[in-house]
Amino acid sequence: MRQALIRIGAIVRKEFRHLGRDPRMLLAVVIMPVIQLLLFAYAISFDVDHVQTVVIDLDNSPASQRYLRQYEASPFFDVVARGRSLADVDSAFDHNTAQVAIVIPSGFSRTLAADESAQVAVMVDGSELNAAKVSQAYSVALNQLYSQELTRDWADAQGLDLSSLGLLEPRIRTWYNPERRSSDFLIPGLMAVIIAIVTVQQTAVTLVRERDLGTQEQIEVSPMRRIELMIGKLLPWTLIAFLDVALITVLGRTLFGVPLRGAAPAFALGAMLFVFASLGMGLLISALAPTLDSANMIALLVAFLPSFLLSGFAFALDQIPVWLQWISYGFPARYMVTIARGVFLKGAGFTELWPEMAALALYALVMLLISAVLYGRRSSR
Amino acid sequence: MTTTTTAAPAIRADGLQRSFGDTLAIADLDLEVDEGAVFGLVGPDGAGKSTLIRMLATVLRPDAGEARVFGHSVRTQAGQVTPRIGYMSQRFSMYPDLSVAENLDFFATIRGVSKADRRSRAASLLEGMGLAEFTTRQAQHLSGGMKQKLMLATTLMHEPDLLLLDEPTTGVDPVSRREFWRILAGLHRAGKTVLVATPYMDEAERCTHIAFLDSGRIKQSGTPDEIKARVPGRLVEVSATRPRAALAAVQAVPGVASAHLLGDVVRVLWSGSAEPEQALGAALAAAGVDGAATREVAPDMESVFAYLADPATGVAS
Repeated sequence: MRQALIRIGAIVRKEFRHLGRDPRMLLAVVIMPVIQLLLFAYAISFDVDHVQTVVIDLDNSPASQRYLRQYEASPFFDVVARGRSLADVDSAFDHNTAQVAIVIPSGFSRTLAADESAQVAVMVDGSELNAAKVSQAYSVALNQLYSQELTRDWADAQGLDLSSLGLLEPRIRTWYNPERRSSDFLIPGLMAVIIAIVTVQQTAVTLVRERDLGTQEQIEVSPMRRIELMIGKLLPWTLIAFLDVALITVLGRTLFGVPLRGAAPAFALGAMLFVFASLGMGLLISALAPTLDSANMIALLVAFLPSFLLSGFAFALDQIPVWLQWISYGFPARYMVTIARGVFLKGAGFTELWPEMAALALYALVMLLISAVLYGRRSSR
Repeated sequence: MTTTTTAAPAIRADGLQRSFGDTLAIADLDLEVDEGAVFGLVGPDGAGKSTLIRMLATVLRPDAGEARVFGHSVRTQAGQVTPRIGYMSQRFSMYPDLSVAENLDFFATIRGVSKADRRSRAASLLEGMGLAEFTTRQAQHLSGGMKQKLMLATTLMHEPDLLLLDEPTTGVDPVSRREFWRILAGLHRAGKTVLVATPYMDEAERCTHIAFLDSGRIKQSGTPDEIKARVPGRLVEVSATRPRAALAAVQAVPGVASAHLLGDVVRVLWSGSAEPEQALGAALAAAGVDGAATREVAPDMESVFAYLADPATGVAS
């Protein structure tokens, strides 16, 4: 037992030496996570506001000006230009100076005065899908407001009192993230992505590297057991993964004010299970991949992409096609994202998150077992 | 580790067999290596030298047959075999980013060498191999010869009784090769058994025993003198300004068992009854090869190898 610990210690020390001497690897596991955090929190934002808007008033009447004032007053739209013809819309969209155009046709006020329904054209640049969707919703809302105003005016003119008429007024409150900041939403999920990259990628590569270097054979003629080699290989990356999690948590809380509402131990346990699941995945890849390059590629494919796209980190899982949703259950990242968001934003703990934790534990167990068996068979050629 | 008192030889293989896909790398091979021998495995590329060594080192499983190292089966008792062997693979297999000292220390640690022993043995091995001043240098920045010496030092850290060396001097400059063999001679004097694969005939000559391996089979084995004695005939060297023309001229002469180029001389194995100088001189003159001189030389491993590797003559016995 003592001898086994000495051997495992030798591997761990060696792994840290490799890491210390490879600036690229050091960059990938320590600096990259920080850069990703800053990138996601600052640059990539799903917040949509101050949409640049061009307005074209072909009616030029008090009624049309009153209508357009709504857009000017809204924090959502920034009226950046006033055009004279439809050609100005094309030019604004082409030059990316505006994403939304509001066109009021001539005859707008006449139609309203005739008590008919007037039409306003709202054009959105569909190449910015998210902005387009939100702009559309906003302008529909603004139109409704304007219609209500018109109704009220009409009622006043008729001498009716509408205050007795019950009007529906929605009060929308966003729970857990009242300001709907995307950094609150992204940073907890980002942890899953970063753990996956560090652990899966590095463990996938680290065992294949021994084979490539030929050092595997020297290890095989030593009394070191395979399980000792595996533990020695996994320990350093486990430590580094936790270091990354701690780093992101601290930076997320201090720089971006991400709340930590739930039980930290629940999060720590979830992260640990996820780390083991990812390590298992990495080991599995290293047992199967014939070369270093293929190990890298497979790791990218099964760790990076699913944790990015199929975890709910960036795209809501109930909005992706059903067959992709099913696939997402096969990767551990989605459980981790749920746990991270649950603990950080919703204040959840073991009681709420145990199904995800159980899924991760099962996943880790299965992965480590399969890879241990495969790894054993592979090296006894 | 005390030396064994049992009669088990250092290596004993019976009917050993291994193939890769459809290729038979080792076919029904028997081998016995006595303790204390420096046993040379010679043979062309692809003869199966590496496969044999890797099976003896327990890193490759035989398909059939059995091999025992100091009486322990490489199939079922790898745990008893590996502590007593040092295995040096053909390609450089140390960590390039670790220093000489770190590589030595790592492999010795996983071999179970105590810290005190690691320190003293590393110091004396590095000193003895002339690597003492390079202990902190990363393995990737060593010269070819130094890399091989580092590998050898690594295989010696746990003081094995048997060294399995797979072409340890391939691609190494002649000075370093001589140096390497000086170290092997020291190990031989210290009582270690060495099994060494080599493509170099001058190295084979330094072995106490040789086995000539071809297509996965041992064609010849014995001491260098025994093997040389098996080559029938006399060895004649023909030097000429145009060696290729000389080779072409002598090949068809009756009495020439084999002829090949070695550097810029033609080496002829003569099995005719006449005097070779006259017959060859006549043939060279007839072919118009000027300035040719012939002289008889003592057979060496180089010519033996050429004779044995020649498909027309080699496999006959």
